[in-house]
Amino acid sequence: MMDKSVWMATAFLLGSGTLAVAMGLLYSQGSADLSGADAQPLRFSHELHAGRLQIDCLYCHRFAERSTAAGVPSMQLCMGCHQNLATGSQETRVLLERWREQTAVSWVRLQRLPDFVYFTHERHLAHDLQCATCHGQVEQMPYTPRAATYEMGWCLSCHRDNVASRDCLVCHK
Amino acid sequence: MDLNRRNFLKLAGITAAASALPGCEREVGRLVPYVLPDDEIVPGVADWYASTCRECSAGCGILVRVMEGRAKKIEGNPDHPVNRSKLCARGQAALQGVYNPDRLRGPLSRIEPRLTGERTSIAWDQGIDLLSRHVREAGPRTIMVTRPLSGTLAWLLSSFMCAIGGRLYFYEVGAEWPVRAAAREIFGIDAWPHYDLADSDYVLSFGAPFLEHWLSPVAYGIAYGAMRQGRPAVRGRLIQVEPRLSLTAASADRWVPIRPGTEGLAALGIGHVLLAEGRFAITGPERRSYERLYAAVSLDHVAAATEIPREHLIRIAREFMTAAAPLAMGGGAAAAHTNATETMAAIEGLNRIAGNVGKAGGVRFYQPASFDSGPTVPWLTERAIADLAESKQPGSLPALWLLYDVNPLYDLPASIPFRRLFEQSESVVSFSPFLDETTALADLILPDHHPLESWGDYVHAEASPAQVVSLIQPVVAPLHDTRAIGDTILAVAKRLGLPGFPWKDFPALLKERWRPLSVGTDGDAEGPKADHLWARSLQQGGWWRQPAPDLTIPPARRFPAYEAARFDGDQEAFPFFLLPYPSQSLGHGRGANLPWLQELPDTLTTAIWGSWAEINPSTARSLGIQQGDVIRVHSRHGFLDVPVLYFPGIRPDALAIPIGQGHTDYGRYANGRGVNPLSILAPLFDQRSGALATGATRVRIETTGTQRRMVLLDRPIPQPESGLLTIHRNGPASS
Repeated sequence: MMDKSVWMATAFLLGSGTLAVAMGLLYSQGSADLSGADAQPLRFSHELHAGRLQIDCLYCHRFAERSTAAGVPSMQLCMGCHQNLATGSQETRVLLERWREQTAVSWVRLQRLPDFVYFTHERHLAHDLQCATCHGQVEQMPYTPRAATYEMGWCLSCHRDNVASRDCLVCHK
Repeated sequence: MDLNRRNFLKLAGITAAASALPGCEREVGRLVPYVLPDDEIVPGVADWYASTCRECSAGCGILVRVMEGRAKKIEGNPDHPVNRSKLCARGQAALQGVYNPDRLRGPLSRIEPRLTGERTSIAWDQGIDLLSRHVREAGPRTIMVTRPLSGTLAWLLSSFMCAIGGRLYFYEVGAEWPVRAAAREIFGIDAWPHYDLADSDYVLSFGAPFLEHWLSPVAYGIAYGAMRQGRPAVRGRLIQVEPRLSLTAASADRWVPIRPGTEGLAALGIGHVLLAEGRFAITGPERRSYERLYAAVSLDHVAAATEIPREHLIRIAREFMTAAAPLAMGGGAAAAHTNATETMAAIEGLNRIAGNVGKAGGVRFYQPASFDSGPTVPWLTERAIADLAESKQPGSLPALWLLYDVNPLYDLPASIPFRRLFEQSESVVSFSPFLDETTALADLILPDHHPLESWGDYVHAEASPAQVVSLIQPVVAPLHDTRAIGDTILAVAKRLGLPGFPWKDFPALLKERWRPLSVGTDGDAEGPKADHLWARSLQQGGWWRQPAPDLTIPPARRFPAYEAARFDGDQEAFPFFLLPYPSQSLGHGRGANLPWLQELPDTLTTAIWGSWAEINPSTARSLGIQQGDVIRVHSRHGFLDVPVLYFPGIRPDALAIPIGQGHTDYGRYANGRGVNPLSILAPLFDQRSGALATGATRVRIETTGTQRRMVLLDRPIPQPESGLLTIHRNGPASS
């Protein structure tokens, strides 16, 4: 029979380990925004559209080449195809319903930079960066999570590797 | 549980651990796409639209930055000849007018009783019906009072009022009518003069606050910069003669704190020296006309009355004589007395003596752009309103008041019973986009769009050295259920079946009337080509040609004889001159509903969000008044409670209060804030022009024993030995 104190120590270690894991999970969830990814009002799949159907990213996010913002496709753009295609699926029925009401789907925003960061898609695309470099292989993801932290260290590591400007005023104007 | 040491540590540990837990609730941002995209909008890329600022009557060209259909920033239009990319704070703050939470959101009508009853929302159709019925009933007894307009809107309103037989007037508080009246007397031209500061090397300004809010402050600010620093080896000098150290006086080389109301006399004294020392070779009848006015005064009398030492007057006159391009100008505080036109005439006469009329660096009049604004619209002066308000024949009073963007109930002193006119009328209709003191009494409110949502144009007057007609175009879609006044009037004209109003809406009329300017001599341009040329005018912000040709100025005429200014209240009982001055940011009160302007520190006192009374520290101390003490300022017509601010830059016998605050019905940012010094003024007017003499009221002050916090960014250090006191004690400085 083992000493009672050994049991106590084991229980204590297990307990603190579980607590550490739980805390870690909470934090990681917080930064990866996993909770938000599943909460889209309509289960849109990048895997289907960008992957299997091979629709170019810029077909829907059509402002990325000429604006700071990549842009969310308008309802009219969705309906360009869905007027006729895949009208029977559960998701498309939601879309058609919204279109009939002429209201927009209000998507959950996954990527957001703070106000004090100036970022432009236009410049990054002009330097031939691929969408996947920052946004991950969305064509393999049924439900899109946040792909990176989008924090300053992450930005800088890429700017360092690609010998891009690291002047403060490039991003903090 | 006892809070012993062990428990305390446990609790502290739990609290520390709990604080490390991340928050579970995360704010979820939403991305809402367009249902139908706008082809011209690229999210994240700004569009810039050229338009015209309507915050004051200067009409500067602006560029508005618009993103996703929202106006975000206003800048000066670099191509516009008036403001050349510059813009003042009031122009910048126009954005807050568009998004102001207190804007009128749709037509309103009042149920009985008139002037005080509840207002209810009505539909536009109903509003047009009501207005048509009022106009039909009142007919020629209709009076329309608007802010000064020009171009197509002025033409439309003139035509409409002409068609129904009513009268149209322009009204603006502090419009500097005496300057214009004097120009008529001295130069024989009914127009605003242009003072060519940029090419002058000696500017003698009697109270003209051209660096603050006067006529076209941005244009004058640019010209002032050119006068000081724009020429190699020449730095123009500026002498400012006025009782209070305004921003313009603070920028001057010398400030001469003259006794209020005697500015004209000082000009006469200076003219006397000019003629006596005879540097200007003037002979014949022209000389006699000058002598009749200027030679009659004695310099000692002038020195005693103006409280400017004789040597100072002679020195100024000699500097004026020897300057290459001297320029005398007057306005502001000098044009605020019962003798304002005579004063301005005496000042303008100095320019005639120096022979700098119509020359570079002098007074000039330009040919304005030829654009038909309809017949000349008369101005409704404060005296005309007072005469009307005290009229003994109710039958001759207007039955229907149509008011557009004017607020006489705030601008006029309580001693002019303007409200009576509304009470005796049958109905009052307002087209103002905001509820203000006057609109609040209207029976029917048909709100106009904000200028940033409107179509229009603006013809710049003779004071502009370029011929300019600016365009006003909507930069954002109307936020509320408002309608442009032009469209409302066209709809009423249609409802009444008036002939001569065939246009479907105001933009169609504007485009048609702009054809000669946008298409120019290309008479064949039709269809796409004409549209292209119109788009080019819109893109540029208007039409302009420079330089404008000068107007020919007839020879000098007989000058109006000088009269001393009259004051309300005798000197014994009311020992102080009250000097109300328009706030640089709020103007005459129009800007008070914009928080950006409210929080803009006054340039000389750094005060924000309130009113104050400026008193010379020596006076305040002799009366035992501390900074921040609330004093009661009494005129013969009312009183105000206002906190004291020590201000060394004011004569010891004067009290200055900024105009702009003290609103009772102008939205959440303006209401109940500060006081309105105009409200206690006496009904005294400039004899010749009929403008309210805002500086002609004398006041007394008494302490109230209370204190009020004034928000100052920086506390000016009250100096017992101000420059002013030194001058009085030791005679003129010998610099």
